[in-house]
Amino acid sequence: MRKTVLFILSLLIISSLLLAACGPAATEAPPTEAPAAPEEPAEEPPAEEPAEEPAEPEEPMEKTVLTLWSFTNEMETMAVAYECLHPEVDIQFTMIPMTDGEYQTKLLASLGTADAPDVIALEAAFVKEYVESDFLADVGDLMPMAEAAETFPFVIDVGTHDGVTKGYSFQATPGGLFYRRSLAQEYFGTDDPEEMQALLSDLDKFVEAAGVIKEKSGGDTYMVGTSGAFWNPFLANREQPWVVDNTLTVDPMVEKYVDIAKLFRDEGYESQAEQWTEGWFAGMSDTLVDAEGNPKQIFAYFLPTWGLPYVLAQNAAAADGSTDTSGDWGLIEGPLPYQWGGTWMGALKDGDNLELAKDFVAWSTLDQEHLENWALGVYTNEYLKECDPEVSDDRLQPPGDFVSSQVVVEKVFPEFDDSELTSFLGGLNPYAAFGKAAPLVNAKLMQGSDDAIQRAFEDARDQYLAGTITKEEMWAQWKDSVRALFPDLIVP
Amino acid sequence: MNLSLSKRNYYGYLFIAPFIIGFLIFGLYPVYNTLYLSFTDTTLMTREANFIGLQNFQRLFADDFFMKAVRNTWLIWGLNFIPQIGIALLLSVWFTSTRLKIRGIGGWRAVFYLPNLLMPAAIAALFFSLFSFYGPVNQFLVRVGILPEAMHFLQDVPITRSLVIFIQWWMWFGSTVIIVMAGMTAIPISLYEAAMVDGASSTQMFGRITLPLLKPILIFIFVTSLVGGMQMFDIPFLLTDGRGSPGSSIMTNNILMYMKFSSSRGHIGAASSVGVLIFIMTTICALGIFYFLRERD
Repeated sequence: MRKTVLFILSLLIISSLLLAACGPAATEAPPTEAPAAPEEPAEEPPAEEPAEEPAEPEEPMEKTVLTLWSFTNEMETMAVAYECLHPEVDIQFTMIPMTDGEYQTKLLASLGTADAPDVIALEAAFVKEYVESDFLADVGDLMPMAEAAETFPFVIDVGTHDGVTKGYSFQATPGGLFYRRSLAQEYFGTDDPEEMQALLSDLDKFVEAAGVIKEKSGGDTYMVGTSGAFWNPFLANREQPWVVDNTLTVDPMVEKYVDIAKLFRDEGYESQAEQWTEGWFAGMSDTLVDAEGNPKQIFAYFLPTWGLPYVLAQNAAAADGSTDTSGDWGLIEGPLPYQWGGTWMGALKDGDNLELAKDFVAWSTLDQEHLENWALGVYTNEYLKECDPEVSDDRLQPPGDFVSSQVVVEKVFPEFDDSELTSFLGGLNPYAAFGKAAPLVNAKLMQGSDDAIQRAFEDARDQYLAGTITKEEMWAQWKDSVRALFPDLIVP
Repeated sequence: MNLSLSKRNYYGYLFIAPFIIGFLIFGLYPVYNTLYLSFTDTTLMTREANFIGLQNFQRLFADDFFMKAVRNTWLIWGLNFIPQIGIALLLSVWFTSTRLKIRGIGGWRAVFYLPNLLMPAAIAALFFSLFSFYGPVNQFLVRVGILPEAMHFLQDVPITRSLVIFIQWWMWFGSTVIIVMAGMTAIPISLYEAAMVDGASSTQMFGRITLPLLKPILIFIFVTSLVGGMQMFDIPFLLTDGRGSPGSSIMTNNILMYMKFSSSRGHIGAASSVGVLIFIMTTICALGIFYFLRERD
C-alpha cells in the first residue's frame, strides 16, 4: 500500500517537472482564451467558474488577438481606445519596464521565437537598432497617411533606414531651453521669451550669457545644471554620424562640445550636478545648496516636450513646500535645435496578424482624429472604462502630449492657451513654443550604435572634466572601449 | 529478497530524478550551449550565425580590455576577501571564546548578517546618493574641514574601487561569520580544556587547534567566495553607469560579458566567450585550492 503511494508520488513529481519544462515550448495557446485568466493548469477550477467561462466562446465574433509590448503604460490607453473602434480585436498588452534595460533584454531574447509580440514600442535609445535590423515589417505603404498628417520629417527619418520606413511615432519630442524668469529679469533685465531667444540664439551668445550670469550673481547662479545638458543638442547638430563607412568618426561638433564643456567646468558656469541626480532636481525647485550650505541657483534646463509635465513641473515645488518655482519658467528654442527621447511603433515581420499589426501602427501613430484625441486628453478614464470595464482606475491620457502630426499640432495648440502648463510657464503656451522648435530638428544622424558609443564617451568625458585625465587620454580611453564593444568597427 | 532490493533502488532513482532532470535541462544544457555559442558570431539581431572558431577568444586578447576586467575582478575580490575572512575569524574567536563569555551572540550575529538581506540595487542607490556631488558625504567633509571643496567621489578611481570593496565586504562578512562560528562550535571543547590544562596560550590554541580543524570550512568559504567573486556584478554594475566607470576601473568579468550581450546587436557569441573564460579560470582556481589545501597524510 505504502509503496503504491510512494510510486504515485514520485511519478507525480517527475511529471510535474516534465510539464513545467515543456511549458515554454507549447506556445500555441488557443487564441480565444480570456486574457485575464491566470495560468493554473495544475489546479482544478472551482465549480462556479466553468459556468461563467462558456459565456465567452458563445459570443458570435471570434476576436483576433494582437500582442503589444511596451515599456510605458500609455500604450495600454492606445490599445483600449483601439479596441473601442474595433470590437473584433483583442489587444493583449504587456508592459515591461526599461529602467535597467529589462525591456530591451526581453525583446531581444524573444525575437525570432514564437513568443515574439506583434507590435512593439521602441524608445529613441534603441529604436535605430531595430529599424536597422531585418525583424521589423516595412510600413512604407502608410506614407500617404503620414503625408496627409504632415508628420514631422525627423520622426519619419528616425523610423527609416536605407530608404525603408519601418516605424512611426505618435509623438514628436523636440527640445527647448527652459529658463527661470525671475533670474532672467535680474541678470538680463527681461524675461520675455523673444528677447531671451535673441540673447541665447547661438553658441557664442550662450557662452557669453553664462559669463554674464556668473559675474552678476557672484558665482551663485549657474547657467546649467551640468554640461551634459547640452550634449544632446550638440549631437543633433553634427554633420556626420558616429559611424561613416564602418569607421568611427568624430565630428567637429563633438570636439567643440568637449571644449565648451571644459570651459563650463573650469569657469564655474555649471553646478556639476549630473542629470537625474538630487542636485539637478533640487535646482528646479530652487533648493540647491552647495557643500558649505550656500544656496545656489540653476538658470536654465535643456528639456524636451515630455520634460515639462513629467520632470520640471513635478519637481518645481520643494518637498517641504518652502519653495515653488511654478510660473517662474520661460521656454525658448535655445541655441541649437534638438530632440530627446520619444516612442516609435513597429510591427514585427513574422507576426501572425501582420495586416492587423500594421493597421494598429497606422492608427496609433498617423490617424489624425486619434492624435487629436491623444493631445487633447479625450481618452479619460471614463472613456476607456466604456470600452473595457476592466481598465484600472488610474489609466487615462492627460492632455498635453506633443503629437507628431503638424496638421494636428496646428489645430490643437490654441486649446492650450489657458492650460495648467501654460500658467506654469508664466502664460506661455508650451504647445506653440515646441511647435516652433520641432520643424528645425534633424534626426538623420541617429544610428543603432549611438547609445553604446555615447555612453563610453560620457565616462571618459567626465574624468577629463574632473581633471583626472588629459584630453588625449580621454580620446584614447573612449576609443579603447568602443573597440571592445564593436569588434568589427574600424577605430582610427 | 533480490526483488525488494532492486525495487528499493528503483525508488531511489525516481526520487533523485527530478533533480537530475532539472540539472540536465537548466544546468548542463546552458553550459554546453554557452560553449557552443562562444565559437560562433551569433547575435540576437541577425538571423544567421557562422562558426568562427576561436576568433571570439582572439578578439578578447587582442586588446587590454578583457585582461583589465580580470585584473579588476581579482583586485576587488581579493581586497574584500582578506579582511572578510580576517574579521570573521576574529569575531568568531571572540564569540566562541569561553574566557570572554560575550553575551547576546545571536543578536550580534543577526546585526552582522543584516546587510546581506538588503537588495544590492538599494545599497548601490544608497551609496550613489551618499557620495554624489551634492550628497551628504561631501557636505559633511566640507563643513568639518576635511575637504576644501566638494569632489566627485564616483569619478575617482581609487575611491570608487574602495567603495565597491567596502560594500562587498560589508554585505558578506556576516554570512562568513555565521559559517566560521558554526565550524568553531563543532570543535570539541575538551580539546581546548586539555590545552588550557597544559598551559597553552590563546594564540597557540588558535594556531594548533582551531585553524587545523577549521580547514574544511575555510576551504568551503574560500571556494564559494571565489566563485561568487569571479561573478561579481550587481554592486559595480549599479553603482556607476553600468560600464564600470570611471575609466572601466570597476568593470568586472560579468559586466564585460553583459556589455557584450547588451550592445546594440546583442553579441551573445562574444559574450559567451567571456563566460567560458570565467568558467575555465574559476575551475582552475578551485581545483588549485583543493590541491594545495588537501589533507596530507
